[in-house]
Amino acid sequence: MAELYVKPGNKDRGWNDPPQFSYGLQTQGSSHKRTPLTKRVAAPQDGSPKVPTSEPFTGTPPVGPPPLLTKTTGPPLGGNSSPLRVEPASSSVTCETMLEDVLGPLEQALEDCRAHTQKQIFDDISRRLALLQGQWKSEKLSVPVRKRMALLVQELRNHNWDGADDIHRSLMVDHVTEVSQWMVGVKRLIAERRSLPSGEAAEEKPTTTEENEVISSLSATL
Amino acid sequence: MATYLEFIQQNEERDGIRFSWNVWPSSRLEATRMVVPLACLFTPLKERPDLPPVQYEPVLCSRPTCKAVLNPLCQVDYRAKLWACNFCFQRNQFPPAYAGISEVNQPAELMPQFSTIEYIVQRGPQTPLIFLYVVDTCLEEEDLQALKESLQMSLSLLPPDALVGLITFGRMVQVHELSCEGISKSYVFRGTKDLTAKQIQDMLGLTKPAMSTQQARPVQPQGQPFISSRFLQPVHKIDMNLTDLLGELQRDPWPVTQGKRPLRSTGVALSIAVGLLEGTFPNTGARIMLFTGGPPTQGPGMVVGDELKVPIRSWHDIEKDNARFMKKAIKHYEMLANRTATNGHCIDIYACALDQTGLQEMKCCANLTGGHMVMGDSFNTSLFKQTFQRVFSKDFNGDFRMAFGATLDVKTSRELKISGAIGPCISLNVKGPCVSENEYGISGTSQWKICSLDPTTTLGIYFEVVNQHNAPIPQGGRGAIQFVTQYQHSSTQRRIRVTTVARSWADAQNQFQHIEAAFDQEAAAVLMARLGVFRAESEEGPDVLRWLDRQLIRLCQKFGQYNKEDPSSFRLSDSFSLYPQFMFHLRRSPFLQVFNNSPDESSYYRHHFARQDLTQSLIMIQPILYSYSFHGPPEPVLLDSSSILADRILLMDTFFQIVIYLGETIAQWRKAGYQDMPEYENFKHLLQAPLDDAQDIMQTRFPMPRYINTEHGGSQARFLLSKVNPSQTHNNLYPWGQ
Repeated sequence: MAELYVKPGNKDRGWNDPPQFSYGLQTQGSSHKRTPLTKRVAAPQDGSPKVPTSEPFTGTPPVGPPPLLTKTTGPPLGGNSSPLRVEPASSSVTCETMLEDVLGPLEQALEDCRAHTQKQIFDDISRRLALLQGQWKSEKLSVPVRKRMALLVQELRNHNWDGADDIHRSLMVDHVTEVSQWMVGVKRLIAERRSLPSGEAAEEKPTTTEENEVISSLSATL
Repeated sequence: MATYLEFIQQNEERDGIRFSWNVWPSSRLEATRMVVPLACLFTPLKERPDLPPVQYEPVLCSRPTCKAVLNPLCQVDYRAKLWACNFCFQRNQFPPAYAGISEVNQPAELMPQFSTIEYIVQRGPQTPLIFLYVVDTCLEEEDLQALKESLQMSLSLLPPDALVGLITFGRMVQVHELSCEGISKSYVFRGTKDLTAKQIQDMLGLTKPAMSTQQARPVQPQGQPFISSRFLQPVHKIDMNLTDLLGELQRDPWPVTQGKRPLRSTGVALSIAVGLLEGTFPNTGARIMLFTGGPPTQGPGMVVGDELKVPIRSWHDIEKDNARFMKKAIKHYEMLANRTATNGHCIDIYACALDQTGLQEMKCCANLTGGHMVMGDSFNTSLFKQTFQRVFSKDFNGDFRMAFGATLDVKTSRELKISGAIGPCISLNVKGPCVSENEYGISGTSQWKICSLDPTTTLGIYFEVVNQHNAPIPQGGRGAIQFVTQYQHSSTQRRIRVTTVARSWADAQNQFQHIEAAFDQEAAAVLMARLGVFRAESEEGPDVLRWLDRQLIRLCQKFGQYNKEDPSSFRLSDSFSLYPQFMFHLRRSPFLQVFNNSPDESSYYRHHFARQDLTQSLIMIQPILYSYSFHGPPEPVLLDSSSILADRILLMDTFFQIVIYLGETIAQWRKAGYQDMPEYENFKHLLQAPLDDAQDIMQTRFPMPRYINTEHGGSQARFLLSKVNPSQTHNNLYPWGQ
């Protein structure tokens, strides 16, 4: 699910800027445990440096092409493919991610929170969802962002709060320029929605009392 | 000897410890004759995925001057429920909860495999972690935008109940009041005048007044010790507003005329940050994170004036005593650093600029408190962005890798004393029977405070053997050391980690081979290097090199086998064979050679050297060089010009840089495009292999290294060529290619 890719660094602003790893790659850490490169060679004690087995550095033109594939003398590879290349935007999206598919469930989740969330926060989240909508409609959001938002919404629908949170984080890390304005609203929405079902007091004390009043008034009418 | 290597490795994995000597010379005289002092590299919070913490308080020795923790070295009488402290020999009663213990039912802390054990303890209310951002607004537009985005992103990485605050500075210093209401307020301070902690707290309205009008803290609800202040609010409450506030930050509005630097009041900004935290949350884990894009040019702590035609000091200026502002600036930042460390807080410095930013003056802020130091060219680079992301990386349990407010207490058996420690810590000035008169690093104490640390933070701790010559070897034949680290875990739990280790004493006269075989040359090299770098801060460069050379010569005299007047007969045993190489590369390293580096760069390299674990420190001293070819799997090669061959690819890791170098023939094949032809697929794999290995290294290293991909004849090849030993020819008469 997580996108694993490596982009080159910003050579204009930093000399020898290292490549940038996606959030997915960073959190997975070192999946294929290669033997760490930490060995050293002792200098020969008899005074002569190691005699190299191939021809020394001469500066003459190339001595013909490299060995052919028939001899499998190449260094052994790790199992996974190595993404130290720029990967194009994922091509596995067969159908366009629709705005409604993403915005609908988000608005629904927000609606669910209406009773338990302070008005100010509710309005703030709505405002940011509107921003998201605006940016999406004016084609400002790239395909990976749209695709991952669809996944986020799916997690939200399945009440998989940690999963949704993780996707929001991966979007903030990998695509902060595109998402920073509204993503914090989605983050808050996940947090508010998460705190709903158990009826536990969320961070805002006043809502609890409101909730209790509502329940007690309901039970009174039954 | 294979067995000692295994022994050393197992101990490092289990206890996070590497001793220079693993069999200890039993008298002071003999120990000094060994040249390399008895010392260890200790990683207090070494990652131990297999070590579950226990949920009870440690059992302590009842002698008030001892208070050692119950450990596997203690003698236990299970019948009488008594234990004997192995440090002071006091007999102690087990507490009532241990009534059921027996030989077959041992508590974990007595089992040998728990020489390192972690306790979770309840010690008062759990306070949330605090992150105070101190942001320079005298940046170029592109840089400021990138920095703002990184800060907004970090709000998603912080724990939801952490407290966060914002101070911005340029010519003035603004402390932002964080509130959920629409209007954002801030307190503005002049950047020219330093204020005392009390003045700052008064001006911000933080002092506990008799009148209730300006209360900084809301009344704490009963039973919930949850506190915040107007300037430090929980992330989950303030993230939306703070995201907007950050998004609206503008460049410092004061115009900068041609030929001038912007007026940057870093000294006052930091002072206010320290004072703010001092007044609101002393003695709890907090990070002051300073983001700066240039040198301080105004107020206390200024490092250079605002005239561009006067450059910032270089090493040449410092040596000629021509650095006008340096002493005063260092004094200012040292004062701040000491206060911060006393309060249990830490200061990180993220400095991104093409010219120097004053790390030389500000380094104590990071070094004394355990804070990070990151040096980059611009905030809009992957180096900064990813390094910053990695500050918030999580471990196998989903907890942040940062820990706070650690105190390290070291106890030794009678035959040893503690000479000092070198690392990112301050002294707690605890005198006692374990403390030696020697001064190695931060000395005169058996306890240090490390305000911020992570699983790789490593201290070098130096010991003195105090047994008299010809005194008998102590009963039991082993000396012991206990390290007790109390700290605030990132989950805000308080924990105590206890490591107890022992090593055998040996008579240097008739057990010399044992002592020799148990020498850990890697640990010794790093420990000597730390001593050298520590000295280099206060002594002249050439003096340090002379000292290092003298130590090497003495060591070779003691442990080498040779015939007089015959250099080619010189031999060192396996356990010493790499040591001279390490010393050779150390003396040409940027830690001891300031040539070719600015004072800021030297400070940066030394900062990282003084805190990394053994493997990484060794990489810094003598970079790793691996050779890739068609002839077999990648192999380590000598860091020597003889390893540079036309048909090899080299991967060099200096810790700060990863260099991939294509030999001449390889480069020509790549240029000809053989890697794109299917029948030469193995060439494609050969080109890819070092890239994969480089990626592996870069994926986890903190800070992110620079990445250099170059080839024979390329200008960037200088990074490799300047590191390798330049042995002359293949027909070389001198050992080690000199």
